[in-house]
Amino acid sequence: MNILQSISIGVQRRFGRQRLRKIFLGSIPFAVIIFAWFMNGYMGWFPPVFIPPIGEVWASFFLLQEDCPGIGAIVALDQRCLMSTHILSSLSRVILAAVIGLPAGIALGIVAGMSRPISKFLEPIGIFANSISGIAWIPLAIVWFGVGWKTTLFILLNTIFWLLFFNSMMCVRTVSRVYEQSVLTMGGSRWAVIRDVFLPGAMPSIITGIRLALGFGWRALIAAEMVGGDSGLGFMIFSSAAEFRMEEVFLGVIIISLIFLATDRYLLAPLEKWTILRWGLIWKPT
Amino acid sequence: MRNNLNRFRAFWRHFPAAGAINLALIILCILLIWELISSTIDNPSRYLPSPILVALSSVDMIYKGLLPSYFGDTLIRLITGSSIGLALGIPFGLIIGINRTSADIFYPVMNFFQSVSGIAIFPIVVIWWGNSDTTVLVVILYTSFFPIAFTVLSGVREVPMQYIHAARTMGATRFQVIRDVLLPGSMPHIATGSRLSIGFAWRAVIAGEMLAGREGLGWMIFTAQDADKTSEVILGMVMIGVSWIVLDHYLLRPLEADTIERWGLVQR
Repeated sequence: MNILQSISIGVQRRFGRQRLRKIFLGSIPFAVIIFAWFMNGYMGWFPPVFIPPIGEVWASFFLLQEDCPGIGAIVALDQRCLMSTHILSSLSRVILAAVIGLPAGIALGIVAGMSRPISKFLEPIGIFANSISGIAWIPLAIVWFGVGWKTTLFILLNTIFWLLFFNSMMCVRTVSRVYEQSVLTMGGSRWAVIRDVFLPGAMPSIITGIRLALGFGWRALIAAEMVGGDSGLGFMIFSSAAEFRMEEVFLGVIIISLIFLATDRYLLAPLEKWTILRWGLIWKPT
Repeated sequence: MRNNLNRFRAFWRHFPAAGAINLALIILCILLIWELISSTIDNPSRYLPSPILVALSSVDMIYKGLLPSYFGDTLIRLITGSSIGLALGIPFGLIIGINRTSADIFYPVMNFFQSVSGIAIFPIVVIWWGNSDTTVLVVILYTSFFPIAFTVLSGVREVPMQYIHAARTMGATRFQVIRDVLLPGSMPHIATGSRLSIGFAWRAVIAGEMLAGREGLGWMIFTAQDADKTSEVILGMVMIGVSWIVLDHYLLRPLEADTIERWGLVQR
């Protein structure tokens, strides 16, 4: 008893009492859901076509990866390694679109936001392009690029670019004119104004915009892969559903949300927090 | 030269219609560029039909009565789905937000289900309910429920404790605290969250109609692409964009601003 107590006190000290409590309480609903799912497979309340047994979902991950020859085939996106090919092709599309779309959106947004007439002119275009969300572009993209990776990349780029462009354009406009004028007065060049005033001033909102854009982009990508793709997680769940392989559909849905959660929580949210701490123009009354 | 330009601009600002004329100029500009592109590429009726063709196809569809009926279907779906979603999400967020323990219990699971986007669960829902209106409704409900529940939750938790303590000290019951302190205090968040979740619901309606094959704007652009009528695809896209702008900028945003002005807890 004494040992148990001291272990429990040690654990609480090491990880923090409140955090342990949160983790414990937060895991209750997951445990209930997983238990109910397990019982469903055991008792057969719903047929496996509607809700597949939890074991089959777990097994299908390895079943899809079964014929894989090795690491080389995984990296080469071989058709025999279905699971890793689907995951990697979705992810690589996101990375490619982020590499192209993020710098382009931010740069053009800042340039457009610097001049008031231009940004006033472009504002309605941005609003309109944002309100036609990524999904509505899918049919036109299929006409233009056919079914395949070009369509999905186009949808993703479209969603990311316009959101980020509009967001950074509007942020640059909120940066106070006084800073810009003071840099110009002290003999700074236009480039100095961009580098030292607009970029840092708009940085917190730009990072928030990146987080938003990648969230929307991920959703749009899944939809685009379903309708107009030939690989990727969205394609996988859609084609598996057409063949009534529900365990693969469930697996795909869980993987999609886990990837989104992991990137959002461990990459984008810390980045946003750090940027706001570092660059944010929050004046704290001490 | 520059001085003249500035003077002209200052003069121009006196007209109330200046903004509208600006907008018309932009639209004209875009239409011209569009026309120019579509006249230079080959096979424009397949890849990028000219604006005149799109306008003609809209006349044709209105004459046949297709466009109004699709538009009405989409709008009815959006209204039913998002109003049920809001009616479920607001009380849920309130109930969870009242108590810290229940917030701790439900927050992670809600976070997980929110990140499962409505589009991703679509194949599952189609197998459960088939290609029916129920499917689209379920997807809309699913997508609109979580954003509103989340914002209401954070709104309730942001109400300053001293208000609750004050009400309790004066002898208010638990129900009175909810009705007179927590609900008005979280009103701005409810307004923001409603706008957010209606926005998500709008995307879900379009995607749902496409994938479930129920008649509406999303279905219209999807089948028009199959039938190789690109002008109808573009018409549908423009309709989707314009109707969302009208809904968002002339209905939801003013509503949100009014709510924040009326109920917001801005302390000076």
